[in-house]
Amino acid sequence: MSINPIGMGEQSKTEREKFEKELKRIIEASNNAGLMLRVIGSLAFQIHCPKYGYLQAVMGRAYTDIDFAAYKKQSREIKTLMAGLGYVENREVFIISEGNRAIYENSHNNLHVDVFFDKLDFCHVISWADRLEMDAPTIPLSEMLLEKMQIVKINEKDVIDTIMLLLEHPLRENDKETINIARVARLCANDWGLWRTTTMNLEKVGKLAAGYPQLGEDLKSQVQAQVQQALARIEVEPKSMAWRLRARVGDRVKWYKDVDEVQ
Amino acid sequence: MAKLVRELMRPGVITCQPEATLGQVAKLLTKHHVHALFVSGADGGIVGIITDFDLLAGEWLSGNPESLGVMRKLTAGDLMSSPVNTIEAGAPAKEAAKKMQERVVRRLLVTENSQPAGVISISDLIASIAGRANPRRETVADVMSDAFLTCRDQTPVVAAARSMTSSGWRSVLVVDAFGKPLGVVSGLDLLRFCDFEDACEQVTVADVMHPALTIHMTATLQEAANKLIENHHHRLIVIDQAQPDSVPLGIISSFDIVAEMARPESIWQQDQ
Repeated sequence: MSINPIGMGEQSKTEREKFEKELKRIIEASNNAGLMLRVIGSLAFQIHCPKYGYLQAVMGRAYTDIDFAAYKKQSREIKTLMAGLGYVENREVFIISEGNRAIYENSHNNLHVDVFFDKLDFCHVISWADRLEMDAPTIPLSEMLLEKMQIVKINEKDVIDTIMLLLEHPLRENDKETINIARVARLCANDWGLWRTTTMNLEKVGKLAAGYPQLGEDLKSQVQAQVQQALARIEVEPKSMAWRLRARVGDRVKWYKDVDEVQ
Repeated sequence: MAKLVRELMRPGVITCQPEATLGQVAKLLTKHHVHALFVSGADGGIVGIITDFDLLAGEWLSGNPESLGVMRKLTAGDLMSSPVNTIEAGAPAKEAAKKMQERVVRRLLVTENSQPAGVISISDLIASIAGRANPRRETVADVMSDAFLTCRDQTPVVAAARSMTSSGWRSVLVVDAFGKPLGVVSGLDLLRFCDFEDACEQVTVADVMHPALTIHMTATLQEAANKLIENHHHRLIVIDQAQPDSVPLGIISSFDIVAEMARPESIWQQDQ
């Protein structure tokens, strides 16, 4: 097995099942404790894409860790839950991130769990406020799309996850097993920087999808159509005054935050 | 008869070149006491508009030295909105109001035979509303100013003087944290404590204010005049009888009463 740090590489079925089983164990414990812990990252895409999830393995997208979204008000209960499951918290991360992130390590299975409280704060901020109730056991599909689209220097693993998501789910104006593109459009209409990165990445996904030999022509066309529909919906959303002002300045001023990756 | 745009507009158009920096635009806005400049192109035609709101981008996006460097190089041409919203001088004023609402803009370039002739802004339209006479002018409530200038008791007198100058008000009502009137600062109070020799940076409005004289909104104008003359005050604070310690309802000044006397329909303007 050889997996590079950005989650690309061949991964055995046994290894993949190790992540999936552990994820199931954590979700069950969380549900029993009545906690709002929602899966994000590669495993969320696997769970929410039963038809096209096979693409991860076929295209060399490996699991590297288990990621969750949660509310900060439950951070203490989550810490207790994870301790009960054999995990030790890296307290430094929690303090440095001002309580916005927690990392747990399990020395028995060598797995690493990342919990993002209230928001994902990398190149752009994606808030979970009042959103974790909308879906289970993952975050809503629109936030899954944004989770990937907010990455300015998007990696191949993120492109693969996005392709799966776009193949599996239609774009609609609600969260019921569909990508709530109205929400994506609304968030992009209020934040030019998020709009800039999201539209840039959607176009990139469309172009890159065309080059994957693992995808048949019909699937490539399907991805292209989804990308065009998403871009069109984002385009027609009325933009805020701040958005229009920021748009006039454009790329001349940096529109995203640099990300310091916590390993 | 409905008013036309040309009756309410301000004639003339203040312009800048597209190459003007944000700093130069800021200076021009301040110099001319306006909120927007029209940007003229090489042939003298209007190509865009830049407002004080657009200039906020300078502060908003200059969070680090690199961004500040970029923003300082930006010009009016870079930040202006284009095309400019226009209206013909002969159009009804209500059409201007409708256009501003629909396009969410605060001003329109007024054209006469397709040539720039002036500017009409929300303020000009509001001024026309303010000019409409109140048909019933018998009590304090009929003529008082419902909106007025207020500040907290620890406000420096320099800040109060600045607000009075920019708003054109001759007094400031001093209130506590809950809006209860504590006193009034007038131009006279400021003159008394701040001669040009003394530094007044440390002086607050609480140090210079005089007691607020109050009246009820149902009182007659004659009662208000009596109170002003007896106490030698120029303004009365109109309070809510049921909640005298709450935010006042308005202010009535000697000027308001004189303005009422000057109205053509006033008894003071009728032939004897």
